[in-house]
Amino acid sequence: MRSLAYLDAGSGSLIVQAVVGGVAGVAVAAKLYWRRLTSRFRKQPAQPSQTSKQD
Amino acid sequence: MVAPPPVPATSTTTPASTPAPRVDPGSFRDPANRVFHADGQVFRGLGPQGAEDWRALAGTDFFGRLLAEGKVCGTELADPETLPASVAGQWTTVLRHERIPFVSYPYEWSFAMLRDAALLHLEILRTAVPAGFTTKDGSAYNLQWRGAEPVFIDIGSFEPAQDGEPWAGYRQFCQTLLYPLLLQAHLGLDFQPWLRSRIDGIEAAALRRLFGGTRRFRAGVLKHVHLHDAIQSRYAGASTGSVREELKDAGFSRELVLATLRALDKLVRRLDWQPPPSHWSGYQETCTYSTADREAKERFVTEALAEGDRPRLVLDLGANDGTYSRLAARHADYVVAVESDPAVVDQLYRRLRSDGERRVLPLVMDLADPSPGGGWRGVERGSFAARADADAVLALAVIHHLAIGRNVPLPEIVDWLVGPLTAAGSGGRLVVEFVHPDDPMAVRLLANKPAGLFPDYRREEFERLLGQRCTVVRRLELPSGTRTLYLGTPRG
Repeated sequence: MRSLAYLDAGSGSLIVQAVVGGVAGVAVAAKLYWRRLTSRFRKQPAQPSQTSKQD
Repeated sequence: MVAPPPVPATSTTTPASTPAPRVDPGSFRDPANRVFHADGQVFRGLGPQGAEDWRALAGTDFFGRLLAEGKVCGTELADPETLPASVAGQWTTVLRHERIPFVSYPYEWSFAMLRDAALLHLEILRTAVPAGFTTKDGSAYNLQWRGAEPVFIDIGSFEPAQDGEPWAGYRQFCQTLLYPLLLQAHLGLDFQPWLRSRIDGIEAAALRRLFGGTRRFRAGVLKHVHLHDAIQSRYAGASTGSVREELKDAGFSRELVLATLRALDKLVRRLDWQPPPSHWSGYQETCTYSTADREAKERFVTEALAEGDRPRLVLDLGANDGTYSRLAARHADYVVAVESDPAVVDQLYRRLRSDGERRVLPLVMDLADPSPGGGWRGVERGSFAARADADAVLALAVIHHLAIGRNVPLPEIVDWLVGPLTAAGSGGRLVVEFVHPDDPMAVRLLANKPAGLFPDYRREEFERLLGQRCTVVRRLELPSGTRTLYLGTPRG
């Protein structure tokens, strides 16, 4: 995936857009949080460190 | 986020050796493209990726429509053959842009101007997203004006959208457009000083502190300020790259981007600001003109501008309700109406906008505290003095406010008035009104200062100072006998 963002869009500013977008967005936000939550309890496999792709 | 500043007057003539192009000091943030000025024209150089994006953009219907409607600035591919030698070869592709008659900044706009600029930005994006494009940023500096008509200038900001990604410019939109509007609409605070002092706009955390208690329930505040700030803090350590991936996996879609834009548009349309009624009652008292004075003054200004070459740019300093700016626009290509009262400018803008006036640009600025240079090295945003290159200056009923109200020495005021006419030289025109010390308005201002503080504030002294700097072509004492108008041309 190409990444051209010259601007730091802000992680929080990206996520809040899901909520701003209305009902469908809230579902996306809920899913995001659910995944984040469950990932904490999941066994951590030998996960490669975060791929820093951009910015 | 690129605002092409005015081109120096010298560049309209082409000397034997082509002058080097001048890189716009406000266009460095996106390394993929730069704006520069050469031969009195505005160009944008694009690197390989920018060139590819431009080709894709130029082929879309939506961009053609925006161009035809004048919502984005006139843009065409520049023929490499016609480019100055020093430019050719530096960029993959070079675009030529329409010239904006006078570059201005959001901290010089009124509330309704900032709101219309925000609405245009959203409209552009709402047109681009269904066609698979987005804008890389969301800054108020992406917009400029043709009179009272906003125009989107940052063509380099368009790029093909990535599916499943939110709008990268949302934070910038909040900081430079939405938050200033919330500040004024909900709290009645003028946003201009906030934007002027912070080039990246108002932070969510700073605004949140002002919207405590029940204020948090005002339109747009809970989501765009409180929640936004809370999530920003929570995810301060997360990279935008990983968050983008997570959002995409969670099902973020183009429809959601559109839903966000719709919500923002609806919110911005709801925001409004009117000054308290007391503002106007106090204001009316300061406007003391007899009909005979007004008619004589209008005649004088009209004749001063109508004779000789048509002025390209007129600065109306202390424009008040814009009466003389409108008059000037009949005899000049473009008029910048500068007034310090944000409410007066806002009202003028709303009237100009409903009239579809494209040759009068109203700006909010205190003449005793004009816009300084800003941003990186203090030149990313040009100072007002650096942008004020005019053929005619109107200074009607303004000198006494500076000399008496603000204690500015009279010689400095006269120097300052001819300053914008430097390039125009003896072809320039200064139309200036001197309010005598016995005029009711001057008396009122003098009453607030110790007696004898301004012994030089006399007509004879003003005429002597004006005569040193200008050839006085005409002089007219208004029928009331307490005000005199002068038409001067700067001594070469």
